[in-house]
Amino acid sequence: MLAGLAELGHAYMGFLNLTSIVYGLGGALIGITVGCLPGLSATLCIALLTTLTIKFEANDAILILICSYVGTLYGGSRTAILLNIPGTAANAASCADGHALALRGEAGRAIGIATSGAFTSTLFGVLCLATVTPLLAEVALKFGAYEFFWLALFGVTMSGSIVGNDPLKGWLMGALGLFVAQIGQDGLYAHDRFTFGWSQLAGGIALIPALVGAFGFAEILTTLADPIERKLVEMKDSVLPRFREVVQYWPTVLRSGVIGVLTGLMPGVGEDAGAWMSYAAAKAASKEKDQFGKGSIDGLMAAETGDMASIPGHIIPCLALGIPGSAPSAVLMAAMIIHGIQPGPMMMIEHPQFVYDVVAMTTLAMCSILIFGLFLVRPLLLVMRVKRTILMPIIFLLCTVGAFAGASRLFDIYSMLTIGIGAFFLRRHGYQMAPFVLGLVLGGLLDKSLRRGLVLSDGSILPFFTRPICIAFASITIFTMLLYIPAFKNAVKSVTGAIGSVLSRCLRSKAG
Amino acid sequence: MSASSHPTPNRTVAENGGKPVSGRADFQGALAWISLGLAILIGSITMDRLEAQDVNPYTIPGLMPGLLGIAMMILGSLLAARSWRRGLSRGAAHDPTARRAEYRHLALVLVLCLTFGGLLVGHGLPFWLASELFVSTAIPCLQGPQRRAAGQKLTWRTIAVAAVIGLAAGGIITLVFQKIFLVHLP
Repeated sequence: MLAGLAELGHAYMGFLNLTSIVYGLGGALIGITVGCLPGLSATLCIALLTTLTIKFEANDAILILICSYVGTLYGGSRTAILLNIPGTAANAASCADGHALALRGEAGRAIGIATSGAFTSTLFGVLCLATVTPLLAEVALKFGAYEFFWLALFGVTMSGSIVGNDPLKGWLMGALGLFVAQIGQDGLYAHDRFTFGWSQLAGGIALIPALVGAFGFAEILTTLADPIERKLVEMKDSVLPRFREVVQYWPTVLRSGVIGVLTGLMPGVGEDAGAWMSYAAAKAASKEKDQFGKGSIDGLMAAETGDMASIPGHIIPCLALGIPGSAPSAVLMAAMIIHGIQPGPMMMIEHPQFVYDVVAMTTLAMCSILIFGLFLVRPLLLVMRVKRTILMPIIFLLCTVGAFAGASRLFDIYSMLTIGIGAFFLRRHGYQMAPFVLGLVLGGLLDKSLRRGLVLSDGSILPFFTRPICIAFASITIFTMLLYIPAFKNAVKSVTGAIGSVLSRCLRSKAG
Repeated sequence: MSASSHPTPNRTVAENGGKPVSGRADFQGALAWISLGLAILIGSITMDRLEAQDVNPYTIPGLMPGLLGIAMMILGSLLAARSWRRGLSRGAAHDPTARRAEYRHLALVLVLCLTFGGLLVGHGLPFWLASELFVSTAIPCLQGPQRRAAGQKLTWRTIAVAAVIGLAAGGIITLVFQKIFLVHLP
């Protein structure tokens, strides 16, 4: 405990220098700018910055990436408020109330609430990051091949179930991601799989070009396919952060912070889930339910705190388990690996200081968004006035560079183009990209864990179902999938309904 | 509660291109998934089992891809059954004229991007020049239909501005990535 606090203090001291502060502010500024541009996601921003910072020291590069991650999600709220288009998917929940406030002439107030909510919830998330990560990493040290197999499968299944509105399509995308991860040399014998004799494919499909394609090129196509240019709402009132409203709505802030962190812990679910669940919980608990969607402060505060708190939540499983909580954290994890830091259970043993460094980096990101929230709101809005027909070709140039720069292979540009076109058409048919990304990240782990587990058990699948942690993961995974079968779902509903009625009868009889 | 169970027009637009997915499209998609799953399964079964290297039979390279192929076939069959049960004509109403215009616009964007990514870049042309050619062509091409719809024409000024933006974008990206951050460009 004391050693942890000392390391945390050491981490904070390590970032109290001009270079780190400049990098942090720069990362956050780029993030906010990208977040302000509708159609550009945090994933794309981090992927492009990963290539830009490839020659940097590990800590400097990760600092820039984390600050840009936090900045992008924060910047996305401005587009939601002023244009009624979420800057990133995570800001969709802020559209209704944020834009309604803007239409009432309170755009500055809405942005101020977003700033204060983002700062407070990131602070809460940072506290959870500092305390939960070492504990989770300690539990994860007990994991073997069987547990990792279920953890990977659990992640892809949960991502498929929760992201989007069609679990079946989510699972299909997860399976596709897992399959794409199998292409190239396998992890045990370096045997070529599905390469068709093409040497370029032997190295597999690299994660960064795939993500740039799925979240960058596909977004460009989506944005340019919609010909309507949206009108920006004018902002006349003060944009100063509203901490008085944070105090006034403290139950919402606390509840949304907890929900945000908890959804962040779920693999591959994404920041938008934190925002939507917090929004729904705030609406359920509010006395002014009818105001939701019409400019409710409570609603906007819940949406903004929920998505921002989920960022540290997503980083926790990424560091402790090596399982990213969202697509942006998957790129962050890839960047850590590029810089020689392997996230996962061994991190607290191999790089114990790094976990606390990440806590300090997230704190610096949080302070950066507050500074930009105070001083740079109006100048940054200019970027939203740039026409999409000018911006998107330039973004495509950056996508090309981002895909190429990691390994200097033209093949990566072709992968990016192919995956981008595929992602665009799949999205139009209601398929989500998050389960695909998680499958792509976890495919190698799933494959190696299954085969190692089978070797250890001499071909028996019993240990996959009899070890305590496996039982928990397997039960949730199988239960989640079975819920898709109507007969099973109805049976579960009737059982829970019966239990509920018995409980309510008991409570009534006690009260009587 | 599912994150997506809340109706939000923007989210739907972003995810499905603003159009409901038709039952027929879902059914065709399901057939594609089943075919892909079957192809993966066949590829896995016929994959070398490395018997010559005397590897443990539980660690053959085709094991996981084969299981994934089976999973895709099962999930694809469920999707096919669901779309059949709900009706193939569900949600299929589209304005054909609007759809044609959208496809034309999309084809234009694809041609521009694929020409740049597939032909201009990495085949001898300096990156800044390839970027200049792409951006200065893309901006007038993309603004043209919007201007025509608004009853305006493309002017020489727009083309000149596009050329300047292209030159600036190519130059700045080359300078920042290659010269300042030492990142290799195609």
